[in-house]
Amino acid sequence: MRRYVQTPGPIGEFSELALRQRAEPLDLVYVGYGLLVVAVVVASYMLGAFGWLPHDPQAMNVGLINAAPFTSGHVLGTDFLGRDLQARLILGIQAYFLPGLLAITISVVCGSILGILAGYRGGWFDTIITYFDNLLDSFPRLVLILLVIAAFKADIYYVMVVVGITGMPVIANLIAGKIAFLRQKSFIEAAHALGLPAHTVILKHILWLNCRALLVIQAPLGMAEAILVETSLSYLGFGVQEPTPSWGNMVQAGANYFLQGNFWPSTAPALAILATILGFQLLGDGLNNLLEGKRRR
Amino acid sequence: MKFAAVKPVSRVLARELAVTALLLLGVSVVVFAILYLAPGDPLNVLLEGQSPRSELALGMREALGIPRTWYGQYAAWFGKMLQGNFGNSIRTGLPVLPELARVGVYTLTLTLGSLALTLLIAVPIAVHAAAHGDTAGNTAATIVAYVLSAVPVFWFGYIVVYVFIHTFSMFPLISGTAAKQEHAWLYFLVPIFVLGVASGTLSEMIRHLREELSRVLAEDYIRTARAKGAAVWRHAFKEGFLIPVTEIMSAKIPFLLGGAVIVEQVFNWPGMGRMAWQAAQDRDFPVIMGIALVAAAFVRLGNLLQRVVFTAVNPRASRE
Amino acid sequence: MDAPLLAIENLRTYFYSRAKRAFIRSVDGVSLEVARGETLGIVGESGSGKSVTALSAAGLVTAGPGVISGRIDLYSNGARRNLLDGLENYARVTERDGRVMEVEKDERGWRKRSETLMAGVRGKEIAMIFQNPRSALNPYSTIGKQLMETIRLHTKFKGESEAKERAIHWLERVRIDSPRLRFDNFPFGMSGGMCQRAMIAMALSAEPSLLIADEPTTGLDATIQSRIVDLLAELKAETGITTLLISHDISVIQRLSDRIAVMYGGTVVETGRAAEVLAPEAKVRHPYTTALLASIPSAETIRRKSYLQAIEGEVLDTIEVPRGCRFYGRCNRVTEAIRENCAGREPPLGEVATGHKVRCWLYPATGKA
Repeated sequence: MRRYVQTPGPIGEFSELALRQRAEPLDLVYVGYGLLVVAVVVASYMLGAFGWLPHDPQAMNVGLINAAPFTSGHVLGTDFLGRDLQARLILGIQAYFLPGLLAITISVVCGSILGILAGYRGGWFDTIITYFDNLLDSFPRLVLILLVIAAFKADIYYVMVVVGITGMPVIANLIAGKIAFLRQKSFIEAAHALGLPAHTVILKHILWLNCRALLVIQAPLGMAEAILVETSLSYLGFGVQEPTPSWGNMVQAGANYFLQGNFWPSTAPALAILATILGFQLLGDGLNNLLEGKRRR
Repeated sequence: MKFAAVKPVSRVLARELAVTALLLLGVSVVVFAILYLAPGDPLNVLLEGQSPRSELALGMREALGIPRTWYGQYAAWFGKMLQGNFGNSIRTGLPVLPELARVGVYTLTLTLGSLALTLLIAVPIAVHAAAHGDTAGNTAATIVAYVLSAVPVFWFGYIVVYVFIHTFSMFPLISGTAAKQEHAWLYFLVPIFVLGVASGTLSEMIRHLREELSRVLAEDYIRTARAKGAAVWRHAFKEGFLIPVTEIMSAKIPFLLGGAVIVEQVFNWPGMGRMAWQAAQDRDFPVIMGIALVAAAFVRLGNLLQRVVFTAVNPRASRE
Repeated sequence: MDAPLLAIENLRTYFYSRAKRAFIRSVDGVSLEVARGETLGIVGESGSGKSVTALSAAGLVTAGPGVISGRIDLYSNGARRNLLDGLENYARVTERDGRVMEVEKDERGWRKRSETLMAGVRGKEIAMIFQNPRSALNPYSTIGKQLMETIRLHTKFKGESEAKERAIHWLERVRIDSPRLRFDNFPFGMSGGMCQRAMIAMALSAEPSLLIADEPTTGLDATIQSRIVDLLAELKAETGITTLLISHDISVIQRLSDRIAVMYGGTVVETGRAAEVLAPEAKVRHPYTTALLASIPSAETIRRKSYLQAIEGEVLDTIEVPRGCRFYGRCNRVTEAIRENCAGREPPLGEVATGHKVRCWLYPATGKA
């Protein structure tokens, strides 16, 4: 049953209505949750960076192992060695936050350059860059990362460079697509006809005015990927090593206990991973629907 | 009859094959570049490892002259590979390619099986959403899909293992000798289930399939089909289902291969993924290099197959 | 008098703008009749609701809320059926001040019901052809196959080879050259005109009682347009098929219609015999029809060397429907005597001569319609 009601008053123009009124409520929920997650992550990163932790993350307390949340001042409980989980989770953010930013930066900057070259210059550039994109997409990212680890070392920044590079094709495609769209609408032709120099057209008109939403959307999505990679790698044992906590290695360390029925040491970091990746993904997708989605009358 | 035209199709396919070959060439260059730039000269070790022992034993190494230039090394390495010589594992000494073939089957079943499972979940949701629009059920399913896509697959694996051990009393899961147990096929299904549900590709699959089907259902020719009382799904099938499904399958294979690496760890599944992990631990370049190449080849093969389907179904593609 | 083949009574098809939170009153109380064997031409500008009327008759409106009230009676095979039978159980309309302000519709339920009602009607009794024939045909299938599908679905030729022969016969009838070769053509390899011929063949091969042609010449080159119109005229003479023809092109309407309905702003503003309504010397005509005729080149305007007159103002946006006559804002024949009426009350469709009705305060009706 659908109910349609006409507002009794005068009918306004589409653009007069606030974004809040014409946006899908679900997308707002997504973005809201995503922003919350971002805030928590950034705040926790700061806490971890300055060492303002509720407890010493390495302090073992044999008398209080596998404690449930809210036991004796441990808000999130303790792990199988009695170490405070909240502190460890906060500290775990260090493992992916800055590296993730590196990955995003590489993807966005290099991807944009490639996208502009392919879209704006076209011709041979387009062909070569498309080839390059397909080439990068041929590798399962984790396998490529393992290759790099074997060849060089298990350094998270090396890894994030790989993540950044493999994230370029998506952005390059989006930007090239946007340029094709603008070209079709004769925006670019018009800009040239007005005598605008190439760098103005590219930087101001294409990137800033038309692509900034797109790039803002890709940032959280890129971070979600980075977190996925970092946690998977540290789960596999290639990331930070014990006793330094990383969400991935925490899950792995708690695995045996999990199978014996002590779920919490593995589950707490797993839920953190879940909630955080979900937050960044929803933020990206929600923003995408709000800013770039099909306009509904 | 699905095929639009046979002769022009073969011409387009030849072009696709050429592109695939070029990409595989590029893949080999990338892998080579990584090895070349790596410290500790792994390439020389590799090239030595690729030479038959007899030559080394006879002190022919100097005579052979492992090439000094990078293109020389590339040529030597590539040439050896074309002969099927991927070198030998530094750890086990066994030749890489045959080993990969041996374990590759396990990874193949895991990857393809979980791809099928993810599709099995995604397709009904996407079709329902495209046909009926935004209902409460669809929204709920979308949110569940988002959550499932963010779940760390290794933790999900533990949950499933726990359930199996304690509910079904199926113990010898975390062991590669599962094949020898009775009901062995069930053990195969568990990792496939885990990867199929939690591979992280679910919500994108649903979105892509739903968007494409919705788009096609709004096309003029579907309206004509309705107007003449014909079965809509028959007309919407090619563009709205077959092509999007093959597209998303081919696009997600790399992700599933990556997920397989992790899942094989959880279940000690004797596949390429676990071998890759071991190789990365041991700095076993021949093995990890071989795996990277084989994985990329597999991805490109999937892509090629998708292009074949697209060309076969699309009359315009074969006439260009 | 013979019952008409199709009788639309008080049809209302609304859409909804979520952004503006208002109804788009595409078809706002339209009543039409198409007699057996005649061609009724519906003419009007874009947005007048003529296409939506046709789509409503064929049950092809999918957007919400869609058809909300009215009757559409199809008389065929001796039986009369209401294609909107039971609509009132699925759509509840709330009016305030004579205007629909709220609609509650069980869309899924109505869709199911409509499918049941239209099964056996769509394609078989009512066939429809559309504009932009190249996109209206399935690009993934040959025109031969698409023709055969209709033939096997709706005629007695169920076998593959007999259906194929029948399809080729129809391709010939619509004057497509080398029909046996064209049978295996895909739409992208054929010109717009040829695609339209194929679509016409596809529609008529089912031998329907009613053909609905929605802007069949729009989107085609001018010379091709006239060839298609010729074809339709020929087929009309050969088969005597009843047609509901929609076009914004008066010359097409003129060429093919027996009777005409002029639509504006979602309502019918004039109906009558084509010769009468379009006659250059007509005394009684709706101002909109007059303006429409004056704005296009015709033999008459050329003879009189008159300037083409554009109609002032903009086409009515069927979201903001005014209180009085819908054409009031653009009408150039308002007199002081009737101004109050024009501004405040919508004129009824009144009969000004036998079979000729006009909705205008200039001609207050002797009877209502």
